Amino acid sequence: MFCPSFLRPALLVCLTAIAPPPALRAQDSADEKTSSLGKQYESIVNVECSALRVDYRTPWNAATPSGGTGTAFLIGPNLFMTNAHVVSDASRITIKKVGDSTPHRARVKFIAHDCDLALLELETPGPAFAKAIPLTISTEIPKLDTTVKVVGYPIGGERISVTRGVVSRVDYQEFSHSGVDQHLAIQIDAAINPGNSGGPVIQGTNVVGVAFQGYSGDVAQNTGYMIPTPVMRRFLKDVEDGKYDHYGELAIQHYPILNPAQRKALNLPDNDTGVMITAVDSTGTCANALKVGDVLLELDGYHVDSTGSIDIDGEQTEMAEVVERKFVGDKLKLKVWRDAREQEFEATLKAFPAYLMAANQYEKQPEFLMHAGLVFQPLDHELMGAFSLTNLRTRYYYDYYAQDELYKELPEVVVLTSILPDAINTWLRDYTGQVVGEINGVKIKSLKDAADALDKQPDSTHVVIKLAGEGRPIVLEKQLIAAAQERISRKYGLTSDRYLAP
Amino acid sequence: MKLRFLLTALLLPLALPAGAEAAPAPETSILRVNITSQGYNFALPWQKQRPNTRRGLGALLAGNRVLVTAELAQDANYIELEQAASGKRITAKVEAVDYELNLATVIPDGDPGTFFQGMEALELDTTLRPKATLDVWQFENNGAPVTSSVEFNRVDLAPYFLEDQFFLIFQANGAVQYRSGTFTLPVIHQGKLAGMLVRYNSRDQVSDILPAIMVERFIRDAATAPYEGLPGIGIRTASTLDPQLRSWLKLSEEDGGILITDVTPGFSAASAGLKEGDVITEMNGFKIDGRGSYQDPDYGLLGSGHLVRGKANVGDTIKLKIIRDGQPLDLNVIMLRKQAQDYLVDPYVFDRQPRYLILGGVLFQELTLPFLQLAGKEWRDRASFRLVYAQANQDDFLKAGRKKLVFISGVLPAPCTIGYERMSGLVVNQVNGKDITDLASLAEAVKTPTDGIHRIDVQDGPRTIYLDDAQAKQDNAEFLPSRYRIKAMENLK
Repeated sequence: MFCPSFLRPALLVCLTAIAPPPALRAQDSADEKTSSLGKQYESIVNVECSALRVDYRTPWNAATPSGGTGTAFLIGPNLFMTNAHVVSDASRITIKKVGDSTPHRARVKFIAHDCDLALLELETPGPAFAKAIPLTISTEIPKLDTTVKVVGYPIGGERISVTRGVVSRVDYQEFSHSGVDQHLAIQIDAAINPGNSGGPVIQGTNVVGVAFQGYSGDVAQNTGYMIPTPVMRRFLKDVEDGKYDHYGELAIQHYPILNPAQRKALNLPDNDTGVMITAVDSTGTCANALKVGDVLLELDGYHVDSTGSIDIDGEQTEMAEVVERKFVGDKLKLKVWRDAREQEFEATLKAFPAYLMAANQYEKQPEFLMHAGLVFQPLDHELMGAFSLTNLRTRYYYDYYAQDELYKELPEVVVLTSILPDAINTWLRDYTGQVVGEINGVKIKSLKDAADALDKQPDSTHVVIKLAGEGRPIVLEKQLIAAAQERISRKYGLTSDRYLAP
Repeated sequence: MKLRFLLTALLLPLALPAGAEAAPAPETSILRVNITSQGYNFALPWQKQRPNTRRGLGALLAGNRVLVTAELAQDANYIELEQAASGKRITAKVEAVDYELNLATVIPDGDPGTFFQGMEALELDTTLRPKATLDVWQFENNGAPVTSSVEFNRVDLAPYFLEDQFFLIFQANGAVQYRSGTFTLPVIHQGKLAGMLVRYNSRDQVSDILPAIMVERFIRDAATAPYEGLPGIGIRTASTLDPQLRSWLKLSEEDGGILITDVTPGFSAASAGLKEGDVITEMNGFKIDGRGSYQDPDYGLLGSGHLVRGKANVGDTIKLKIIRDGQPLDLNVIMLRKQAQDYLVDPYVFDRQPRYLILGGVLFQELTLPFLQLAGKEWRDRASFRLVYAQANQDDFLKAGRKKLVFISGVLPAPCTIGYERMSGLVVNQVNGKDITDLASLAEAVKTPTDGIHRIDVQDGPRTIYLDDAQAKQDNAEFLPSRYRIKAMENLK
């Protein structure tokens, strides 16, 4: 489920700089002197990942190498599960098993940034893991206040670590890897520290989750989160066809019906049923099923209460859980209250890519176009952060891209992000950070539009670039551009003046 | 008979030495002005903020008028004039105030009696030019006069009080002691008032002085009712120094000129037919350079904004030479004035209660800049985005027929507002089927609920808010007055 920015909790997840681990817990009860895990430790491995993070401010440069370590666990023949954030933007991945310092080269088989899960495989499966027994993924969500163990390779030492705690809470959480997705997550009070990411959380002998994020100690104490088995199983099912598809989205917004006047005005029976639909994306899953002002009574047979919750297997949960368990292309039944009577509709679940405007980007070479020292790039979350874009109109395109359906008109929002100083552009430096509206009279709806418009020689003597909402056009004398282009590329070390994704 | 004679004899010796030979001096021509201000709380507009008392200095002008900055006099509740040496005080009131010019005059509230006896009104020095030594007058705590000398050496345009409003400023160098609890101080040149010090940068020892020539404008305008205020032209401009821009605009290298990048609809420039893309090359006979400056005969190179806001009066004509599509053109602009309340979003609100309306706990207001500024200095980043965007794009809303931007600023938890507690910053489009153009239209619309239910259509959030009319009336009458101590459920004035 995607979480609109205005609903997003202020989650201060800190994955790489959590405070030092708390003192080790004393384990003094007699029946725990022998571990229940035994040989399973061999299936829990240390992952070391060298990653390449690109700098959006110099998109023509090669990326900067960085790295980190995490945990993974065997779930099938040569198949390890870990977090997406452990292996994102990987240039090289190695796996080490417990008590063996030999690194084994591995690669990403599938990666899902929206639910922070990935599957790895050894490049050359050898005898090292031949006898390892894959861990079993539980079919259930562990109950509140039951004990779980977290196994992995967190900071504090080189060897495998086990911590334990209880299930504290089962609720929806923002997944900070993408920054925009919300799924079911389980809060546990076992210590989870950097390096635990991707490691199994075990109850009895079965895996009940993947440790993935937590609050740093100065925000909240003993608050770690794991990805529960419904999310893991969904991911595994999704990749059965050989590729990972995105989650589907209802692409609607809703508002609770708690005020008696709402029921009276809508002629609704007073039975704690239904939420008001306050936005329906006109290209999304529900475009032909719902209208603003409808009251959603049932979603796929589940009774929707007046705050938008449903009851699944005795657990009260957000109605999005129905969608979480489905795949793009699946059908959904909707029962709504419209014109003071019940009506039923069917919808086909679709992905809703527009909301990715606000998501962290991975595995992506940043697109750019340099023309006379003016650098144009498509707007996204990384660009907002890299350039600290504050222009009000640029912020509008960013914040309301999905909500106001700006994506219909603008597949990409092209921003003049920076200027490489040169004689040709010396008077233009005040105009960076703004959205490009037109080039030579052509409306710009993508970076490719901008490239095409600039490649095409205008009939006039000048190239005129209009920024959205800015009355002062950017004007370049056509005859000066070619020489400037060559000069700037050479001086600033650009091997190409553009990268446009194929 | 005898008694009366004796009294006269006693008074004369007192009056004579003071009145006869007084020349302007701090003790005879400036006064302490103690002002207790109390503005409204823009978040809870039915109540005022905590009162705040400040001391400043005022210059005595003819007619027992005391000149102070508007900043000091804002939202004045209670004013005292005080003679620094004797501590003698009388009650006073604001006579005229202009928050854009940052000037106000304060006069006695009632008969001043003998308060002004022996005092000498200051004349204005409106002919001051750079390279002059000025005296900054103030008092020690014990009432003894203190004079600091500063060198006036630079003229510029800078904000007086409100941001984004640029006026003539004299800058002077030299140390000024902090003695009076304020840097709002009278500045004197050869016994005449040269201006009011409005800002002092203690690190660079630079004083910003609001010059007497602007004080004179204010006093002249204030002398005849109604007070008109300053005109505006309603354009935004950009420099034309970029040679590539010049060649595209078909400007010669010598022309100078400033490019119009935006014209406010319905205001002075628009009425005269000025358009985006026009280049202004001359104003009232003065050549405008590529940065928008001109050679002022008195002060040298100065921003052309001074010709518009500094020199012109409402109704005056400014003669422009422009270049449009490479062709020269003459245009006359008749200068109009926009009052703060003529804007979609009032740029400032002083001395009056913000307009609001409460319906069962839902608080409706008209958007003002002070409301946005509740979010702090970084309000553009921190206030509700839709409201900040509206403030920056007011013309779009005016064109759509709105006079004011009515929005729900918050919700008071009450029986009527169950489930709606978390709403804030929602722009109101329609109420009970009627378009909302200002708070008065809202007050009309809430009189006609359908079947006892109000329908409030807002831009985001719940999109339609339903409120029970009977419950709203009951809460307005009982719950809200008793629990939140709200006396009036609306202020539409």
